[in-house]
Amino acid sequence: MGLQQKLDTLKKGFEGQAPKEVVEIMHRATADLEKSGILDATVQVGDEAVDFSLKNADGKEFSLKELLSEGPVVLSFYRGKW
Amino acid sequence: MELDALKKADAEFRALGATFIAISPQLQSFNREFREEKKLTFEILSDPGNEVAQRYGIKFQLPEDLREVYLKFNIDLPKYNGDDSWTLPLPARLIIDPKGIIRYAAINADYTVRPEPEETIVALKKIIER
Repeated sequence: MGLQQKLDTLKKGFEGQAPKEVVEIMHRATADLEKSGILDATVQVGDEAVDFSLKNADGKEFSLKELLSEGPVVLSFYRGKW
Repeated sequence: MELDALKKADAEFRALGATFIAISPQLQSFNREFREEKKLTFEILSDPGNEVAQRYGIKFQLPEDLREVYLKFNIDLPKYNGDDSWTLPLPARLIIDPKGIIRYAAINADYTVRPEPEETIVALKKIIER
């Protein structure tokens, strides 16, 4: 099963048992975010990636510039373990 | 679930000479827990206050009613992220070439929609071939 198929199954399961008003709040928040124009203001293909230096889970610093010296970087912004 | 799926793709990214990195606003300790629980093979970097996410234009704030819902489901963002901004990054997957140019961007306002890892592998191969 692909990732999106798994996510769809999870969503269906959650929305099937969650209170209706909760599902409505979640749907409205997503729709509002889509309407906010945020996607027009994000980085786009062709942009120069802003450098950063952030700590890993052990407190070691990683900078984008250093990572790029070894080759391409695939970056995934992720919400959290919850 | 997405990072779990990307764990498999990580080996392919490496074989292609690329580095896969995840960035999350959560505190280092939660990234450490997550890495151990899922036995992740790649680094998760902590982005306090979503500052890097902001520079990439993907930071957003949760509305009040949604915060209540999150709290009901024990998703206490101030606890996880170490700040009370109630901000998150849009789920985003980017490929940056060695010159620092973004060559692929899969960003969605709906957090329940994510690109397949295979799609990113195909995109990476095309970028390397060019």
